[in-house]
Amino acid sequence: MALVSPQTPLPRVVFSILGPNLDQGRGIARWERWRPTVALARHDDLLLHRMELLYQPSFAELARLVADDVRHLAPEAEVRLHPVELRDPWDFEEVYGALHDVCRSYPFAPEREEYLVHITTGTHVAQICLFLLTESRHFPGRLLQTSPPRREQLGGPGTYAIIDLDLSRYDRLASRFQAEQRENLAFLKSGIDTRNEAFNRLIERIELVAGASRAPLLLEGPTGAGKSQLARRIFELKKARRQVQGELVDVNCATLRGDTAMATLFGHARGAFTGATGERQGLLRKADGGVLFLDEIGELGLDEQAMLLRAIEEKIFYPMGSDREVRSDFLLLAGTNRDLGARVAQGKFREDLLARIHLWKFRLPGLRERPEDIEPNLRFELERAGQGLGVHVTMSREARERYLAFAVDPSSRWSANFRDLNASVLRMATLARGGRISEDDVREEIDRLKDSWAPTSEAHPPTPAPAPAGDLVSLLLGAEASALDRFDRVQLEDVLRVCRSTSSLSAAGRILFASSREKKASSNDADRLRKYLARFGLSWQQIASPTG
Amino acid sequence: MLQLDGRNGEGGGQILRTALALSLITGQPFHLGSIRARRRTPGLMRQHLTAVQAAAAVGQASVEGAALGSTELTFRPGPIQAGEHRFAIGTAGSVTLLFQALLPALLRAPGPSTLHLEGGTHNPMAPTFDFLARVFLPQLRRIGVDVRAELRSWGFYPAGGGQLVFHVEPWKEPGYYDLRERGSLREQWAVAAFAGIPYAVAERELEVVGRGLSIGPAARKPLLVRNSRGPGNALLIGLVHEHIEELITAIGEKGKAAEQVAQEAVEEARGYLEHEAPVGEYLADQLLLPLALGRGGVFRTGAPSLHTRTQIETIQQFLGAAIRSEAISERVWEIEVRP
Repeated sequence: MALVSPQTPLPRVVFSILGPNLDQGRGIARWERWRPTVALARHDDLLLHRMELLYQPSFAELARLVADDVRHLAPEAEVRLHPVELRDPWDFEEVYGALHDVCRSYPFAPEREEYLVHITTGTHVAQICLFLLTESRHFPGRLLQTSPPRREQLGGPGTYAIIDLDLSRYDRLASRFQAEQRENLAFLKSGIDTRNEAFNRLIERIELVAGASRAPLLLEGPTGAGKSQLARRIFELKKARRQVQGELVDVNCATLRGDTAMATLFGHARGAFTGATGERQGLLRKADGGVLFLDEIGELGLDEQAMLLRAIEEKIFYPMGSDREVRSDFLLLAGTNRDLGARVAQGKFREDLLARIHLWKFRLPGLRERPEDIEPNLRFELERAGQGLGVHVTMSREARERYLAFAVDPSSRWSANFRDLNASVLRMATLARGGRISEDDVREEIDRLKDSWAPTSEAHPPTPAPAPAGDLVSLLLGAEASALDRFDRVQLEDVLRVCRSTSSLSAAGRILFASSREKKASSNDADRLRKYLARFGLSWQQIASPTG
Repeated sequence: MLQLDGRNGEGGGQILRTALALSLITGQPFHLGSIRARRRTPGLMRQHLTAVQAAAAVGQASVEGAALGSTELTFRPGPIQAGEHRFAIGTAGSVTLLFQALLPALLRAPGPSTLHLEGGTHNPMAPTFDFLARVFLPQLRRIGVDVRAELRSWGFYPAGGGQLVFHVEPWKEPGYYDLRERGSLREQWAVAAFAGIPYAVAERELEVVGRGLSIGPAARKPLLVRNSRGPGNALLIGLVHEHIEELITAIGEKGKAAEQVAQEAVEEARGYLEHEAPVGEYLADQLLLPLALGRGGVFRTGAPSLHTRTQIETIQQFLGAAIRSEAISERVWEIEVRP
């Protein structure tokens, strides 16, 4: 027998916003009205597996009644209630943020369930937000639009339409939205057409989070990876979207020491300490309504950390020597080149502060992790150098090829990442005759760079605050570290540091065995490294995880 | 495996329900194709899906194609389960139709069963609960069927949520059914049940019925329904004869005048009264299957409807029963079922 068994459709899950107007109705008379959310359960050819009903807590009673009616009309459906606090359902940012949170926290399983979002109820603002969230695939489903019954079908369930934004007739609408989003992304990347996929994904995520969230953002990454630039770009993007009105206050915590640290951040009253002759506002106050970027936040003292935590959580703090609290509402961006988890383990960073700021943590990769982005950044830096010098700077083809070959070579350390690249291009541009960088200029520059990265060189310490010697070894091995010979310990420390700065065992192996690699036709660096680590009872996972 | 074509007869859900009922009691698997193929929304709709799932639960069946919109269904039943069964139909779909699909199986179950059904109890296109309780089940009692029916709450379109409970005893000693005469008219009565709508609607309906059928005020009762989730209105007219009680029902609809609802019921009642056969059109459909499963029987009715003819065809395909229908006068037909 030829049995044509249609593929079983996936169970359907519908999200609906309770409409305080459209879905209202009490007592038996409620059935006289067409209620969009209830009508969803009345269609003969629409089988609901589950309904996720979003409602404002002030309409809890109505939500329960609607849920109850839906359960009777669709006994096969589970109805779940989700209170969503909205102070102003006409406030675009608030509604978008709330719905975005719902999407983010919902355990979507599109391989097992099909999702529809009902856009007939809720404010127009909510409808637009749902459209955007669906279009951007934050909501991995389709739109569901319902209409009341026509006159001749009075009392009927009305009609419904499923709108698939992937279909071509919505392309124009979609492309407009995408173009806008692309602009934002390009903006965050300073207009550099980066090719590294991981980096581009990271920027996309930052764009989304920066657009939707008011929670602190933590930017991790080695020195020179571009944290400050990105912080400024995020600020400018938020400013352009009118999400912040105030200014950007940018401060490197490594430059704050002692009493002045407190005073600089939180301000002081007149006479708070010797020499405090006047009142000082402080940077937190200055950032009110704007963005505060605290770079190298790991360098902040414990007292300042405690004050900062309170300032983030309650938006109030006390200036030094003042018993009058000061209010300041700012978005915090934090930067660090350190493993803050390890700082917590050492008792040098407050765990509660870390928990507060690493809700959104983004790790900016160093230059070496983005070899495909060196070329576009080179172009960008050439242009920037040209603007600074007032000449059009170009590079001959040979010069460019030679420089790029050197740049992507595993032995090139780029210890200060894009800061190194920036300085290097600026030097070449300055020395080039007539603004044209020759192969000779490149050769000279390569020597300079190699020199600056040489381990004996004291001129350019690779990072402003290198981890103390023995840090990683004792962190990972604990008490066993003291049993090591000094001879082994220094070697292990360096190996671990390389491991920590790379993304995989293979990448670390390539750096550690770069010289022998050049001589041999083939080698298995990763295996060699794995065996070496195993001698100390260490695995890659242990090293890679921040707390060891 | 039995092959059935969903395009046969009226082409709706009836062939599905009959096939499910017959498959459960015969143990014969079937494949039904082209389900509701000519309808605007073809394939299985939600209430059909519930019927399939309920039948599968009662008969421990394995099913293929039980999906919304599916136009092909394969059903392989196992042994029938007695005991408690609970099913709810969404969209205020009819629970009486579901009851009729499950009843034959429960009559053959190894023990007594209780069926809790939730959904629509008074729907326009299905027998109402009152029809089952006052007409269908009393006729079955004559051939030894023991079913007690209870209305816990009313379910009107669109709110639904009505609750019916049926206690079904296994059918031990089937008797031969014979109903060729209705006997004399003993009594007529009318009830206008209403929930969530003005009392005047019931009054106006009863007024029209009273005038149209000469039913005096004492035999006309408005009934305020309190145990209903939503609004609704059902007009019931009882025509009690010596050998059978017929019940005419009309369901009020939004946007339809009370007078019109009542007038349609009056005309249907007149049609029955002017006829001489005892078995009305709907009861004729419903009797065929129980008779084919028991010891058979004979009854007189009007010209077989399309529904009745579809029913006869399906039953013959499954059971091989001989069903003879024959016109014995211009308007009266005699149907004989020989298992």
